[in-house]
Amino acid sequence: MVREVLCDSGSLISLTSSCLDNALYFFAENAGLKFVIPPSVEYETVKRPMEGNIRKHLFSAIRIKDAIEDGVVVVVDAKVENEGKRIMDSANNMFYIKGKPIRLIQFGESEMLALAHELGVGTILLDERTARLLIEAPFRLKEHLEKEFNVNVMVNKNAYRELASRISSLSVIRSSELIMLAYEKGYFRNFVNLQEEALEAALYKMKFAGCAISFDEISQYMYKVG
Amino acid sequence: MIATAFKKRNQRRLRKLNDDVLRLTSQDCSQVNFNMAVFSYVLSKIVSKPRYLSVECGSAIKAMEKVLDRIVNRMDSATDEELLGLFDELEKSIGGLEQMDARFVTDLVTKGKMKMAATFYAQGISLGVSAEMTGLQKQEILEYAGETMMFDRLKEEKSIDERMKVARKLLTG
Repeated sequence: MVREVLCDSGSLISLTSSCLDNALYFFAENAGLKFVIPPSVEYETVKRPMEGNIRKHLFSAIRIKDAIEDGVVVVVDAKVENEGKRIMDSANNMFYIKGKPIRLIQFGESEMLALAHELGVGTILLDERTARLLIEAPFRLKEHLEKEFNVNVMVNKNAYRELASRISSLSVIRSSELIMLAYEKGYFRNFVNLQEEALEAALYKMKFAGCAISFDEISQYMYKVG
Repeated sequence: MIATAFKKRNQRRLRKLNDDVLRLTSQDCSQVNFNMAVFSYVLSKIVSKPRYLSVECGSAIKAMEKVLDRIVNRMDSATDEELLGLFDELEKSIGGLEQMDARFVTDLVTKGKMKMAATFYAQGISLGVSAEMTGLQKQEILEYAGETMMFDRLKEEKSIDERMKVARKLLTG
């Protein structure tokens, strides 16, 4: 059975920047996973760096393009403009500071959430922290905004309900969990006696590449593994 | 205030102004405020580097100060478009200063934008909005954010054990 996982650009970037994108192939072969991206993610991660000749990011772009050509990552287009706009409007009108709504997400991000809805994909590989918090714990995001800006943040309950009805059923996995799971399934087997060390190093590499995982989380997982 | 602080070579004041403008920018997403945030940061970096304040760089610094004066004079009456054009000129004059003693692949203004974008992201604004506001690649912002403690400062709702249970069930079930 093929299971689809929708990916955001951040997770693909974390994986390619850390040279761990082979984990996508590993799961495609061993667990029948199909990694799906919308055209906007392909544009951000492949076309824009390649067409703009952005040297620093060319190699990541080529690796993702290769995965697309190999059919491990599949670009899926769907008409989700209206749904994407609804999600974006709800998210961007949910929290208010001093009477003004805070713009939290942009269309590319809401488009991905809308695509999940449209395709009936329940699992998202998502490294981007704000969108993840909107799905998993919007009030944690509110507390965070209050702490950062040192003000009270007001909640528009209608927008909150509207957003929750559309995205709260989604399950989010970060690229770090994908690599942890890959380790459990033998992805690091070639490292023989250094498998645990390789996993830990890989997780730190991903963290430094921008994957939203904390040092504590890495330590906790490594403690369980060790 | 930013121009005055720069002329007084007051780095601490420039950083304080940067904090203030940045907080405002995250809330109103204004491009003019965003540029003020970036340039207050960049000017503070210039003030902190003795090599930029040497006699050899004097003409480049003067050119920058002239653009800064024009921005100050036009701030209340100019359209956003005109102000953004003046910020472009300021960026060019800073580029001229850097070319006199180039040391890094990434220029000062891009570094400033990266820092601002990573700060927006840390504050709770999404990566996409941060990239859109700064015109940077998400990858650049992620790399910068990855070098900070931003992911350690916010306690996660779910523990790593819970996350792994979900991942195991969903991906390999």
